[in-house]
Amino acid sequence: MKFEEFKKPTWFQMNLRAVWGRAYPRIIGVNRELSWVFFETVLPLLGVAAFVYIYKALEAPPQYIGYVIIGGAMTAYWMNVLWSMAAQMYWEKEIGNLELYLIAPISRMSVLGGMALGGMFSSSVRAISTIVVGIVIFGISLSLPDPLMFAGIFIFTMIALYGMGMMFASLYMLWGREAWHMSSLFTEPIYLVSGFYFPVKGFTTMLGNPGTWIAAGASIIPITLGLDGMRQCLYPGNTDGFLPLWLELAILMVLSVVFLFLAKYSLAYMENLGKREGRLTMRWQ
Amino acid sequence: MARYAVEVKNLNRTFTTKAVRGKSKKEIVKALNDVNLTINEGELFGLLGPNGAGKTTLIKILCTLLLPSSGEARVLGHDVHKDTNAIRQKINMVSGGETSGYGLLTVRENIWLFSQLYGIPSKEANRRIDMLMKELKLEHKKNSKVRTLSTGLRQKANMVRGFMTDPALIFLDEPTLGLDVNASRLIRDFIKNWIREKPSRTVLLTTHYMVEADELCDRVAIINDGRVLACDTPDNLKKLIHQDSVLKLEIRQVDNVTAFENIAGVRNFTHSNDMASGITRLKFILDDEAIVADIVAAVPKSGSKILSVQKTEPTLEDVFVALVGRGLTNHEV
Amino acid sequence: MAVNRKSRSMGISQKSLKSMRRSIPRYPTGNYHPNKENVESRHRNARTLKWSAWLGWQMESNWADPFLFMVYSVAKPIAASLILVVMYSIIAAIGGGPDIGLFHYMFVSNAFFMYVGQVLFGVAQIVHDDREHFQTMKYIYISPSNYFSYMIGRSVSKMVITTFAVIITMAFGVFLLNVPLNIFTINWLLFMAVMVIGIFCIMAFGLALAGLSFLTAKHQGGMNEGIAGLFYLFCGVVFPVSILPSWGMSFAKILPITYWLELVRRTLNLGVGMDSTLSGASTAYCMAILCLSTLIFSIVALAIFKVGDTVARQKGLIDMTTAY
Ligand SMILES: Nc1ncnc2c1ncn2[C@@H]1O[C@H](COP(=O)(O)OP(=O)(O)OP(=O)(O)O)[C@@H](O)[C@H]1O
Ligand SMILES: [Mg+2]
Repeated sequence: MKFEEFKKPTWFQMNLRAVWGRAYPRIIGVNRELSWVFFETVLPLLGVAAFVYIYKALEAPPQYIGYVIIGGAMTAYWMNVLWSMAAQMYWEKEIGNLELYLIAPISRMSVLGGMALGGMFSSSVRAISTIVVGIVIFGISLSLPDPLMFAGIFIFTMIALYGMGMMFASLYMLWGREAWHMSSLFTEPIYLVSGFYFPVKGFTTMLGNPGTWIAAGASIIPITLGLDGMRQCLYPGNTDGFLPLWLELAILMVLSVVFLFLAKYSLAYMENLGKREGRLTMRWQ
Repeated sequence: MARYAVEVKNLNRTFTTKAVRGKSKKEIVKALNDVNLTINEGELFGLLGPNGAGKTTLIKILCTLLLPSSGEARVLGHDVHKDTNAIRQKINMVSGGETSGYGLLTVRENIWLFSQLYGIPSKEANRRIDMLMKELKLEHKKNSKVRTLSTGLRQKANMVRGFMTDPALIFLDEPTLGLDVNASRLIRDFIKNWIREKPSRTVLLTTHYMVEADELCDRVAIINDGRVLACDTPDNLKKLIHQDSVLKLEIRQVDNVTAFENIAGVRNFTHSNDMASGITRLKFILDDEAIVADIVAAVPKSGSKILSVQKTEPTLEDVFVALVGRGLTNHEV
Repeated sequence: MAVNRKSRSMGISQKSLKSMRRSIPRYPTGNYHPNKENVESRHRNARTLKWSAWLGWQMESNWADPFLFMVYSVAKPIAASLILVVMYSIIAAIGGGPDIGLFHYMFVSNAFFMYVGQVLFGVAQIVHDDREHFQTMKYIYISPSNYFSYMIGRSVSKMVITTFAVIITMAFGVFLLNVPLNIFTINWLLFMAVMVIGIFCIMAFGLALAGLSFLTAKHQGGMNEGIAGLFYLFCGVVFPVSILPSWGMSFAKILPITYWLELVRRTLNLGVGMDSTLSGASTAYCMAILCLSTLIFSIVALAIFKVGDTVARQKGLIDMTTAY
């Protein structure tokens, strides 16, 4: 047996490798399980289509169909954060991988980053197919006069969102089943307050001032302003936007920093707590 | 360089289990109770103990997965509480009977994934994986999905994963759990070779198999109820219980056994004749093992012939029973 | 106490596990007698049904656990209804002036559709969870009671939990959103008949899906919102079927859920007449179609379950794990 020496990687290289390592099964997994294509891309489209038809039945202005499509596309990322990253932590613990990650000399954020990256691949496939269906079947027309702003909004939404996911993941390390129910709780109610199927300004239209407060409160969840910003970018000239675009971008930037910081802190805190209470590697809770 | 691979001082670990409403009360389990241990660099050290003794708990603490409730533990010179990252660079762990990894990946891909957590360049990682798979006779399953592997093969894959990072110290929690005789021997030989190759390598393994501990380990700690009851080389442990060596001989029937009486070093001699099969059975309790030759030499003198020889020695099992039995009663009193 | 690595406790105490095991039927003892065997097996299935319903109840919701109750019977269903409320209100506010009947239509059907969503999603999840998470499926599978009655039992507990959610959502609508439900004018007998047949039909769908789930890998997320999407889109849940393109309308007309929801709306007298596709059909006609299609779908579902079951065993998928 011969173990060849290799140049000791820097901390950064090492974590980069870890990210890629964890992303790999996600990317390869979707290729190996063809049922995935059906479950992850075709089926969710049906739900989105139903919401499109609601607006058709209500005889809403055409941009609302586009709003639903954008919301449907972004649902892919939200689901990914909730189930394939945060809740996945619980699953990793159950199948015994978590302890192997924890004894490795890398940052826990790299493992989560790998999950995020791998998951983003499949989410993007779903998001893009939603948009394509929107254009081809429902004939929505999007315009993009300011691609830079759009890219900025999208990227910072993603960073903040996955940062938040990492923060949730730390909870899953300790509270398996309970946290699972929490993810479940974060579907419909978040669809509602973050405005996945309507612009959040709709709260103001409907309720006046208290509505504005709901939208403002919901803005702590990065996807709220992300959705609103993307809708404003893709449907310029409408008055359905909640805040000015530059402000939304700025807030998303702040949220990105805050959530990444919180994630790092809470991961360390939870790991330590788990090690103290002996719950880190306990299964079947 | 650290003198000790593992150094444990007054280590305690308690678990508090939550109450189940109306069904069980809150319970405090003392999994480790004032444990003191040192493991030298280069040593193959065994932890032997019944279920629930605290073996896995100790390993978890040393692997940085669990914090001690009190006391101190150092791994390769680093404190398990403070220098976790320094420890993690140099260790790895394999738990027997566990299936980890992702069902959709092949064995090789799964192990490669874990190599990336240690920053091993892919090329070298794959070379090592292939080498270790060959060593453990797993090559033919290289490209099978993990979920199609049998329990034993999974365990071997798990071993490859642990050794692939070339750790300075590896923790093996029941490495031969669920393996057949051949596979267990293969794993044991592998561990022996691995540690022999480089003097700085250290192994800490837990097991329920006395023979395994006896055969493999330089030193063994017997642990029960969270307490270390004894810690020494297997030979010394056996001496600990003062059990006598017994030599049993079957020879062709003789009427006169005076040739066997008064051999120096025999504490006790008994004999019996089996008329039906024409055999005389002799039983000697020995003070000194070296006199076996004298006894055997006495057989032709008596005009007979040896049919069978059987020598019984205390096994680690006897030690274990003696210690754990006593340990238990002490504890319960 | 030593914890056995292999025993999956599902977060339930040892004691209740024991009582659960006790109620798992055992092989009949004593002399073999064909007739007796039949009776035994019938009892066995009844008992399986009972303990699996109980198990489902333990695992998924529980009146004693206010958190779970809030999540599954209050927060999620009400949020889902509120999405529709906001959508309707926005369009109403910006001038479209849609018919209020359309809102009642959406609200009622959406509330009752929870049965479909819960059972369809739940059943796939039960199979995958049992198989991969608790890894108990193989043990249930090899027990003399069959997986079929186990699935039915689990679905029954889902149904009970969902019933609470439906009642709460309807109450929310009546008291806070002025949904004009008049419980004194309802033909309760007809309503109960509609509910029984509808739930039977939904359970049949659930079983078919369980059969398919034997064969599929565990997918997270996508399944959650996806599986029920087909029915959500084509059964006239949140918009009248008449909005769909003509091929969609034809498809809707062969799905029993379409008739079930129409009958629910008619018996509750909410949002009636919004959908031009079925407004011509008499209630008796809808009922007849519902019964007939339920019958056909049940047979098909049973067949799918059996096929899924057999193929899974042929391919060795009963205890596969598919994480990635
Ligand atoms: N996370 C935990 N929470 C509560 N109690 C625990 C926990 N982990 C271990 N214990 C308890 O601590 C004691 C020691 O357990 P440990 O797993 O270390 O035993 P072991 O020697 O490895 O046994 P085995 O040979 O069965 O693997 C046991 O009584 C066990 O029930
Ligand atoms: Mg153990």
